[in-house]
Amino acid sequence: MNNIFKFSIGIFSALAMAWLAFVIGAKEQFGDLEVTSSVLDENKLIIKGSELYPKEMVGLAHQGAKEYVSLGCTTCHTQQVRLFTEKKKDGTLKVVPGFDIERGWGKRPSLPRDYIFHEEVNLGNTRVGPDLANIGTRDYSDNWLHTHLFQPQLLVPDSICPPSPFLYKVTNIENPNSIKIINEGNSDKPHNYIIPSIRAKRLISYLKSLSQNYELPEMAFVEVEDVEVVEDVEVVEDVEVVDSSKLPDWLAIQISSGKEIYMKAAPGGGLCFTCHQPTGLGIPGQFPPLAGSDWVLGNKERLIKVTMHGLMGEIEVNGIKYNNVMTPPGIPPGSLTDQQIADVLTYIRNDWGNSASSVSPAEVANIRSKNKDRAPMQMWTNAELNSN
Amino acid sequence: MKLTSEQIIDKSAKWVVSFFIASAGLWLLAAALLAYCAAAKLTDPFFLSTFEFFTYGKVKIAQANAFVYGWGGNSIFAVTIWIIARLAQAELRGRFLLITSGIIWNIGITLGLMGILDGHMNSHEMLEMPSEIWPLLFISYSIIASLVIVTHRSRSNHETIAPQWFILGSLLWFPALFIIAWNGLEINPARGTLQAVLSMWFGQSLIWLWLTPFALGVAYYLIPAIIGRPIDKYYLAIFGFWCIALLAPWSVVHHLEGGPVPMWIPAIGTVMSIAMIFPIAVASTNFHATAFKDIGIVWNSLPLRFVIFGTLSYTISSYIGVIFSLPAVAKLTQFSIINEFHFNQRVYGFFSMIVFGAVYYMLPRITGKEIPKGAKSFHFWTSALGVLMLLLAYLIGGLTHGVLAQQPSLDWASSVINSIRPYFLITQIAFVILGFSQLVFVINIWKVLFPNPFQYFYNNSNNSAKNAIA
Repeated sequence: MNNIFKFSIGIFSALAMAWLAFVIGAKEQFGDLEVTSSVLDENKLIIKGSELYPKEMVGLAHQGAKEYVSLGCTTCHTQQVRLFTEKKKDGTLKVVPGFDIERGWGKRPSLPRDYIFHEEVNLGNTRVGPDLANIGTRDYSDNWLHTHLFQPQLLVPDSICPPSPFLYKVTNIENPNSIKIINEGNSDKPHNYIIPSIRAKRLISYLKSLSQNYELPEMAFVEVEDVEVVEDVEVVEDVEVVDSSKLPDWLAIQISSGKEIYMKAAPGGGLCFTCHQPTGLGIPGQFPPLAGSDWVLGNKERLIKVTMHGLMGEIEVNGIKYNNVMTPPGIPPGSLTDQQIADVLTYIRNDWGNSASSVSPAEVANIRSKNKDRAPMQMWTNAELNSN
Repeated sequence: MKLTSEQIIDKSAKWVVSFFIASAGLWLLAAALLAYCAAAKLTDPFFLSTFEFFTYGKVKIAQANAFVYGWGGNSIFAVTIWIIARLAQAELRGRFLLITSGIIWNIGITLGLMGILDGHMNSHEMLEMPSEIWPLLFISYSIIASLVIVTHRSRSNHETIAPQWFILGSLLWFPALFIIAWNGLEINPARGTLQAVLSMWFGQSLIWLWLTPFALGVAYYLIPAIIGRPIDKYYLAIFGFWCIALLAPWSVVHHLEGGPVPMWIPAIGTVMSIAMIFPIAVASTNFHATAFKDIGIVWNSLPLRFVIFGTLSYTISSYIGVIFSLPAVAKLTQFSIINEFHFNQRVYGFFSMIVFGAVYYMLPRITGKEIPKGAKSFHFWTSALGVLMLLLAYLIGGLTHGVLAQQPSLDWASSVINSIRPYFLITQIAFVILGFSQLVFVINIWKVLFPNPFQYFYNNSNNSAKNAIA
């Protein structure tokens, strides 16, 4: 302690142990990860001819990563879907969805292999904004992303994400480079178009490249309903499928709220049961059934559009023709909020023997914004729906 | 007039220490301004939003760097130099070089912060200043650290005591951490998430192995010096020191819980974080068993009041930190604004409060001038109020954030973030209070350091004229 040299050797060797573990040891363990196919053959080799993951970023996205760092996006956004495990009775670990996956931020926990092409690994440590590990696979149009970067509050009124007007030129005139601002509510804004700078384009290209939408040998997708599993990065154990019939809480809440809306005949309700009946079977010849209906279980966009604005004219459901008018549900008609529409659609997709994925308010909001020019009571026709 | 040996040492250190304290004060103000700016942008995202310089991400990171390297670095140099010289009972060596390297350090940080605001940020935690700046900072730091060690080695008493271990430890740990991180991130860059592990490790270790041991060392020096009684259960101090040296570099990685790294990394971090209970308990016993026997002195001596506020805050929030490192809790809170709680309690509630105490203790001895008691007292109460507001807002806000974020049915912006916005407003108010408090601090010290900036030259020329006549 009294000799400064011996003292330094003491504290440096204490530090060196941690360095050996976290730098040298970790590098030895997973510093040499390469691309691989989603599943391996019985000899643990890549199957020839199959797609290899992760995909390399394009050059523009690499530049975008630098813009992302330089604007300090990491301060509020993480890029990692966390691993949640549960101990089973026999002592092995089971991967459970966890709230990152339930929120729809990814289909499986992130792995070291996902980041091998990232020059800057922006894992982040604070989520004031949502996680971005899979932003590229969520259905955002370029318009949406650019508008959001330009001024997030146009799309998400409660957002506290700082606007970046300095990355854009605003203009009133449409030209090939300009992008129409998605402008909900406040259409009195003088500027309708923005021209993205090269930096904005890089950034969007980077965001669109962020995707972990593939399975890796170490980790399969974790479904919210039936949970798959797997294990640590190095040790490969048997993959097992655990079937769980219990619904996650949030889904149960959505379904029960949806059922209430379906059956309610007062403001806030949808008045759906009067035509489609509490049994979901409709009335033959007059009102089509919802149970087992190809419209209900099929394309979500069509379903949301119909719930938002109503439907008229001849349609064909499960091969049977109907010709009637469906006013937009809600009291008064067309008054259902995004959340209510999401709930009621989730309900009808999951009752009377139906079983299909849930509908989120964000999906409804997205479609609402795409059709914001449509008058509230302007009902869809079959031809219009098919033409889109 | 004959000077005592202490006065000779103080005189030898006067200009160097004054330089570092004065610049630390300016950085503190800069950081306060940036902190307010960042907090205001969270409550109103349109605040200054048209200027790219002031984008939230840049301001936030510039603030952390100004605080840690500007205020932290300069005040560490000032207090280290003085305490090491006093404990060595030796005059300070290499004064000219110390000031020169100090100027380089400050120029480096200024350029670095400008680099961050101008968009040349690095992606590594607490290494965000542009890569070109770091060699400059490293060289100036090394010169300062070597000169401090030269002074230390010229000491008259061979035996060393706790404040020396902690302060010299912190002095040596920073360059070691830097070399490890710089080698792994810039010279020989690691691939994939290895980079993230190392960058996180550096950012957290910097606080645990640079700021923390330094502040503990100062507390070990000031508490017995002011109370006039040795540290209670002093024999535990050496155990506490080696516990930090051995455990801290391992414990910090628990922040990666559930992340895309092998599971052993966060697991070992959690185990070591829990083991950190020992050094925390040792420091707490040493400080509080000594101080609370003479609670009257603590209350009446302002420097000591600052120091004890710091050590209490260290103890309480370190225990909170241990609880938050348990995996079950960490899963809830790890990405919430509770991180701000951890950072701010370290740098404001603990480190800065102890440095304030040290500066108030040191300045009258160096300059021979007293700081008015009212001004010091005002500074203490506003700091205490600001820090408590800030920490409570981040703690409660962080828990709310964490709990709501795990409800997938809640919409992100309109439910989760909206419900923590009131806490952002509280932090904004807290930063205003802290800003005022720090302004008072800087005025206090500048008035003592440079009572009349123009008189110095005037007197000097007068004296030389008199000498010429004589």
